[in-house]
Amino acid sequence: MTHGFLKNKHYLARDMFRICNGLFMCLLLILMLIPLLKVFADSLDRSAVYGLTLWPRNPSLEAYRVIVSNKNLYRPLLVSIFTTVTGTLLGLLITTLAAYVLIQKDLIGRGFFSKFIFITMIFNGGLVPTFLVLKNLGMTNTLWAVLLPASVNAFNIFLMKNFFDQIPTSLFESAEIDGASPPQVFFMIVLPLSAAALASIGLFFAVQYWNEFFAYVMYVSKPELYNFQVKLRELILNEQNLNDPTIIGYGNMVKNASVVVTVIPFLFIYPFAQRYFIQGVTVGAVKE
Amino acid sequence: MFPMKKRTLTLSWVMKKMYHDRMYYLMFLPVFVFALLFCYLPMVGVLLAFFDFTPFKFKFVGLANFMDLFFGIRSVNFWRSVYNTLFLSLSNLALGTILAVSIALLLNEIEQKKFKAFVQSVLYLPHFLSWVVVASIFTIILSPQGGLINNIFAFLGKERIYFLAEEKWWTPIYLFVSRWKETGWGTIIYLAALSGINPELYEAAEIDGAGKWKQALYITLPSLLPTIIIVFVLNLGKVLNIFESVFVLMNPNVLKVSDVVSVFAYRTGIQQANYGMGTAIGLFKSLIGMSLVLITNKINERIRGSSIF
Repeated sequence: MTHGFLKNKHYLARDMFRICNGLFMCLLLILMLIPLLKVFADSLDRSAVYGLTLWPRNPSLEAYRVIVSNKNLYRPLLVSIFTTVTGTLLGLLITTLAAYVLIQKDLIGRGFFSKFIFITMIFNGGLVPTFLVLKNLGMTNTLWAVLLPASVNAFNIFLMKNFFDQIPTSLFESAEIDGASPPQVFFMIVLPLSAAALASIGLFFAVQYWNEFFAYVMYVSKPELYNFQVKLRELILNEQNLNDPTIIGYGNMVKNASVVVTVIPFLFIYPFAQRYFIQGVTVGAVKE
Repeated sequence: MFPMKKRTLTLSWVMKKMYHDRMYYLMFLPVFVFALLFCYLPMVGVLLAFFDFTPFKFKFVGLANFMDLFFGIRSVNFWRSVYNTLFLSLSNLALGTILAVSIALLLNEIEQKKFKAFVQSVLYLPHFLSWVVVASIFTIILSPQGGLINNIFAFLGKERIYFLAEEKWWTPIYLFVSRWKETGWGTIIYLAALSGINPELYEAAEIDGAGKWKQALYITLPSLLPTIIIVFVLNLGKVLNIFESVFVLMNPNVLKVSDVVSVFAYRTGIQQANYGMGTAIGLFKSLIGMSLVLITNKINERIRGSSIF
């Protein structure tokens, strides 16, 4: 009898926990989503002041029209697209080449190469020496400063190496016997077999280049080279920017819409690409 | 295929082997050159910390830059930035660990697969947004001119507050925004660790009459502990690196509570073009960061008898 009662009590407590846990998760969802929804709603809202609602009261696409028709706004967007595409391709090329060399077990100097890359992960010279190097190379105030330094990423190289390690060596060997050179093996066998790894690390690079802001703060102060992140920052900080006659009057809408434009490309790929992002993290974590 | 005769490890064999593998060296060249230029050359550059180096001067001054930082005219701002850095990142780290572990534990209890996956997707999302975007979103929402929070305040008949420009609000807001962005991502590693716990442990505990709460206390938490410690130690090394998150949320009104070492180095070294001093601040930062990692690793070794390196 007592036993049965205890059991019921046990289930009751369990159900209570489930309900509370579910409610907590819903609360968490609200906390995460409201800021995003509010910005999206206000980007479509023609009203002069922000309200309390999570939907536009005077719906209008005006802010987005301003962004695509104002040179000061669409130019940074084009720079963002250009640096993301170029940077991702460059980053992938550098990463895959390095990782392919690192899986050559009998290569003389392989251990040295591996340490050479590993050290960049632990030590760095700091802001000022890096700035001075780029300055003396003539790369400050050019897009090279945005594209090149970020393309060498030790973490991505080791991640890629872990992926390549899973390709059966017999495939390389038979190709070599058939007389294929290392670059041929690389392009004809390794890359085609690594689609998932390329997607995963390519997405890391793409997000990194699309979100680039640090390199601009450090090395680039020419407005015509700004990417959309820097432009967005400028819009949020300076009301003066909004004196631009094409933006005036749309100030708040344009700010909100600029946030949305910065996020939208990512939101489109995120549902399909999420597993690639997580795959990269968990592979790295297990091997660490 | 090159014959691998280990016995004949002569110079001529090495030369031949390297010539045979020349394509690989060529393929490594890009990463070699880039790392040399962008990672190793700046490492040599830390020597500038011992120079008085501005666009107009270049003179060896020994430890004068450090003396100036520690005891001289810059010391007030310098120690302030050290304090802020440690305070902000350590609170962030402690808060982050507690929140990520708790949320991972709760997520792990959700039985509806689809709901769980949806919550996870939403929680991970802000990790991929740039700090500029996140700061912009919260600047808009916290704006005194019609931001959502102030509108709620006004609706309730309260005074409007310029949150990001008030010292007492800035720190909690910084911590909240950092957690909003990164907590979800932090749960991934704990969720992976949770899924690796042997289910037989729970079955055995259930037979012994341990309730869910006791199981969490005596099985789940101890199993998570190694992961918690590893993540904590790895993050401790990065504690002094906070730059972008602070940079995009700070403004001159709250310099007192928000100036951190990297931002101080940036202002001194790059904005004021005092390269020697900026490098000295950076070097101080790297040395402290490295010792933090080594110390915590030592403590970890003492406690658990194993090193993570």
